[in-house]
Amino acid sequence: MRLVEHDGEKIGVFNCDGRLYAIEDRCSHDDGPLAEGEFDAATCTVECPRHGSLFDLTSGRPKTLPAYAPVRTFATAVVDDTITLEVD
Amino acid sequence: MATPEAVAEKKELAGINADYKEKFGFHDPETGYAYKAPKGLSREVVESISEYKDEPQWMRDFRLKALEHFESRPTPNWGGNLGQIDFDDIHYFVRASEKNSRDWDEVPEDIKNTFDRLGIPEAERKFLSGVGAQYESEVVYHQVNEKLEAQGVIFTDMDTALREHEDLVREHWATIIPPNDNKLAALNSAVWSGGSFVYVPAGVKVEMPLQAYFRINTENMGQFERTLIIAEEGSDVHYIEGCTAPVYSTDSLHSAVVEIVAKPSSRVRYTTVQNWSQNVYNLVTKRAVAQEKATMEWVDCNLGSKLTMKYPSIYLLGPEAHGEILSIAFAGEGQHQDAGGKIIHAAPRTSSSIFSKSISKDGGRSTYRGLLEVADGATESRSKVVCDALLLDEDSRSDTYPTIRIGENDADVGHEATVSKIGDEQVFYLQSHGLDEEEASKMIVNGFIEPVTKELPMEYAVELNRLIELQMEGSIG
Repeated sequence: MRLVEHDGEKIGVFNCDGRLYAIEDRCSHDDGPLAEGEFDAATCTVECPRHGSLFDLTSGRPKTLPAYAPVRTFATAVVDDTITLEVD
Repeated sequence: MATPEAVAEKKELAGINADYKEKFGFHDPETGYAYKAPKGLSREVVESISEYKDEPQWMRDFRLKALEHFESRPTPNWGGNLGQIDFDDIHYFVRASEKNSRDWDEVPEDIKNTFDRLGIPEAERKFLSGVGAQYESEVVYHQVNEKLEAQGVIFTDMDTALREHEDLVREHWATIIPPNDNKLAALNSAVWSGGSFVYVPAGVKVEMPLQAYFRINTENMGQFERTLIIAEEGSDVHYIEGCTAPVYSTDSLHSAVVEIVAKPSSRVRYTTVQNWSQNVYNLVTKRAVAQEKATMEWVDCNLGSKLTMKYPSIYLLGPEAHGEILSIAFAGEGQHQDAGGKIIHAAPRTSSSIFSKSISKDGGRSTYRGLLEVADGATESRSKVVCDALLLDEDSRSDTYPTIRIGENDADVGHEATVSKIGDEQVFYLQSHGLDEEEASKMIVNGFIEPVTKELPMEYAVELNRLIELQMEGSIG
């Protein structure tokens, strides 16, 4: 996992067994720092360290409460060994 | 002159009023117990519970991870005073009987006598579709109507469900309340034992309620049941739980986790009549999700315990889902009922209501703590919150902590709150109709809680009224 910052927004970039996913580093429930949570590459999920909501990194959707709203996701690409994120 | 019926009623009430200790507060000898864990919480205790139950590895891992969450979180410093709980002075697992029986005659004699005294088998015969009876850490008796079983309804204890329906359990387990949700949910997740598992297949309506009864017998006991209810599309079920414990001078802890999944167009009602003895800390996390057009209802009656902190929640996740919370709290001497409810509107055209009634007397404290949230996108949602508090004397206390967050302009949300005292004029009016002061006060209180009692099955409404009359006894004059 790598934490990057763009225009003041923190984004966590995760490597799920070779596939790269990027989500905003802010839980939709209580603003918890998702990138600090437990990451499971096999299921491609991260658990919010604050209250335990489990997020699907491929969609940004929570798989468990207490979060119910998705977090933002960002398209990733690898160009010349450099990971790029598509940020609005 | 009093009618013969009134005299009989009064005599009956006097019998019930003999006090909690006699009716519910007795305890059995612990002879014949299969296992009692030493006091205190550790990795070894958690592992031994899992081993004792012969659980799959994923559940053992889940428990150990939850223990880490519990240990790393501070004890909450809001709500009631939790500082006096000594987590090292609690038995976290007590197995009273080697097996969970479906035949009442096979239940050990002492336990059978206890539940006989509490009226459990009688209730099953009369008006229930199924009964579970938990004694200490595990369920000792479980029975469900055969017709319901034939329709695919599962009503069993959670330990059995994990063995016999592992995939179904695992699919939903901790998805509503993850172990890291809060410190007490983490504790439950680490040492959970017993509780109910209910599965209602699509379209099946369970017409009579399912009931679970929870009993603590041992001193310094922790009961940590775990309940999961899954109502498939278009199904309907009413689950009722009751609980009591002996009166001891030392404290016990009850910390349950209840998760409910109400799938599209289903209806789930969950009724609690909590009557723990006044040495029990009752710290419970209850949460439900209601999917599209589903209805979820919590009917939560808190009469007993030293301190209750419980805020049943409903997440309205699908359009047109509906949620209701009816909460009643009665706080007498030395009691703090910190109760309420939370409803989150997370989809369009959802509707909800929270009705909270609290009564405080003899220095008791009742707190309403609630959350109503209308999230972005939950357009055309409606909700009404009503909190009424009744104070019976100058020494008692009532607090209200409502939180309302509205994320949509077209939400229709109402909040009403009242605090009142029993008025001299009301009492005088009833006395002019021949009631004495105590009867008048009881009548006023029963009228105050009537919006809740009318939602209970008749047998429970009668019992609740009587319990409140019991609490009221001696409060006048």
